[in-house]
Amino acid sequence: MIRRIAVLVAVAALAACGHSTAQSASAPSGSGLVGYVRMDELVKKHPLYDQLARYDRSIDAFDLTTTAPAVASPDPKLLAREQTLERELSDAANRTNHLLAQKQKEYQEEENRAIDAALRGAARGGPSAAQIAGALNATARQQQTAVAAQAQRDLDAYRTDLGKQDQAQIAAVQKALNDRANRTYRAKADELQAKESALSLQLASDDAAERLALRTKLSSLALDDDARDQAQKQLAALDRKEADAVAAQRNRDQQTLSGLQAELHDQVQHDLDAQVAQIRKRSLGSLAQRQATLAKQVRTEATAPVISMIGPDGKPQTRVNPNLPPDLRARIERLHQDYQKRFQADAKTTIAEFEKTRQDLSRRYAELRSVDASANAGAASEIAALRKKRDDLYDQITAQIDREVRLIAQQKGISVVVNDVVAPAGGVDLTPDAMKDIESLHE
Amino acid sequence: MNHPFTRGRLLALAFALGAAALAIPALGASAPTDIGSLDQQALAALPSFQAANQQLNQYGINLRKQYIARAAHASQAEQQRLGQEFQSKMADKQRQLFGPLFRKAQIAIASVASSKNLSVVVDKRIVIVGGQDITSNVRDLLTGIGDPVPPVSTPPPSKVGYVDQAAIDATPKVKAATDEFLKFKQSEDQSAAAKLKSAKSNADRDAVLRDYRKTLDDKQNTTLKPVVDATRDAISQVAKQKGLILVVDKGNIIFGGTDITSDVTAKLK
Repeated sequence: MIRRIAVLVAVAALAACGHSTAQSASAPSGSGLVGYVRMDELVKKHPLYDQLARYDRSIDAFDLTTTAPAVASPDPKLLAREQTLERELSDAANRTNHLLAQKQKEYQEEENRAIDAALRGAARGGPSAAQIAGALNATARQQQTAVAAQAQRDLDAYRTDLGKQDQAQIAAVQKALNDRANRTYRAKADELQAKESALSLQLASDDAAERLALRTKLSSLALDDDARDQAQKQLAALDRKEADAVAAQRNRDQQTLSGLQAELHDQVQHDLDAQVAQIRKRSLGSLAQRQATLAKQVRTEATAPVISMIGPDGKPQTRVNPNLPPDLRARIERLHQDYQKRFQADAKTTIAEFEKTRQDLSRRYAELRSVDASANAGAASEIAALRKKRDDLYDQITAQIDREVRLIAQQKGISVVVNDVVAPAGGVDLTPDAMKDIESLHE
Repeated sequence: MNHPFTRGRLLALAFALGAAALAIPALGASAPTDIGSLDQQALAALPSFQAANQQLNQYGINLRKQYIARAAHASQAEQQRLGQEFQSKMADKQRQLFGPLFRKAQIAIASVASSKNLSVVVDKRIVIVGGQDITSNVRDLLTGIGDPVPPVSTPPPSKVGYVDQAAIDATPKVKAATDEFLKFKQSEDQSAAAKLKSAKSNADRDAVLRDYRKTLDDKQNTTLKPVVDATRDAISQVAKQKGLILVVDKGNIIFGGTDITSDVTAKLK
């Protein structure tokens, strides 16, 4: 009965004093009691808590900047820009085709008229071949002027668009390169921090038995002053040894990180320069191709009076009027063939160049999207890796706390200990004792 | 999302943070030998649960494809409606696949607990020392021939109590405090995100995040802590009246225990 009252008094005292270590130390012991610990408080006192907090801050950073969703969602402007460009290129190609068709038609009409005139002139002393060619040249020049003006407008618009696209592409590449460098740096920093933590934990674990023996020795009231002093020195030396080892490792890691940062900076600059040069080179190439195509399109056509007639079968045919002088006939025929060849080649080349340019730009935008996609995958995997590291470290910490708590429970004869109570009620709080042990791991 | 400040965790976290011991003498505490524990992850690894899980995953993949196709050209409101429909279908499928398995597992747990005279079975994750681990017994029953037989007797009264945190979170005072904190947090999130963007170095970034954490901790102390303290007091009072030795969250109770949620919420009103 007296013992029961003593137990009740002790527990009541514990209740009144809350977290007091001294009171907790006087908690009742004996088989059959239920204890508990406040794990979150113990975790905060663990030597590796700083590392855990760093992980939490990194996770906060990801959550706050919402890197994953931002990267995951494709840049809506990217697709719009590509569509606009393709539409403009397609319009320009159609316009060119239209101009070429119109030019062909007009030439055909002029040629027909020239043939008629030449035939009439031959019959009644009309215009000479030179006069016919001159009239054709004048018409061709008028057409060339109109085509050249349109071509110049197309080229200017194309150049402006290309400049805008280049700027957007360079900005995107720059962002992707910076993101990649940041990720590399953070991954290395996390890796080194994890290694430091592991080292710290390893050292603490290696020395745990010796430290416990020294602390047990120190807790003995019978220990004389010299022996106590000696034990305290040994304990301090143990702590110092561990702290020195961890500090040395940290210094080495810091040097590694500084080196990596400089290396990454150089790498980003180098990659960016290369990318910018490549983008500009491609743009200049595209522009030059476009310019050459347009120049070819508007190039002065040598007059080529074409003799075109409707044949007996109703289909268009080209024939040289046999009544023309042989030299004029040969010239007209040569010009006609030359005109046809060049016109067709010109039209084909122009369209092909447009297609090529369009495909080139599409490919460049596809590359941009792929940069976005790889950045997205990288960020997502980094978040997952970070969370895993955080959870692993938390498990490491709680496993060590569990070991300490088991020892305390054994010493106090507590049969059951739980770690997640909403309200303690009548259980014995082992938190203060566990906290002392955890704090002593790293003074 | 595994966010440290989700509503469900707020109070639990605060409880843990401020769990100043208000110990109450364990008058007539039952023997700790009547406390059992169960490793739920071990049960989840059983072939029947694995198969159900695979089926649910496959169903989810197919369903998601259908909804993505439907949502592609839908308005925002329609997308929201489709999202709810998707969640509802997934929940139905989950009930359909896991309902019978859970019922069978509950019977097996009750049967083992009864045969071992356990008054309560808690999640093994919260047990550091002791307790009777009944995982292997339950697993044997679930993988054996035939269905487990329900026990004839009800579990004895337990000295381990539990509360339903969700019910406590829904009481007006707790809800108001939680809402206020969440609103504050939302604003802090935006502010911290803006500062992070303009941070020029890792040191700047770290400082922003430290400041962010501290601001939230301070706000938690002023907004949530008083409510948490009052709640804990109410729980302790009820626990004392009922002679309980521990009170844990309902989520950690697998079988038995004494539910004091209604007494606590009545005190909080």
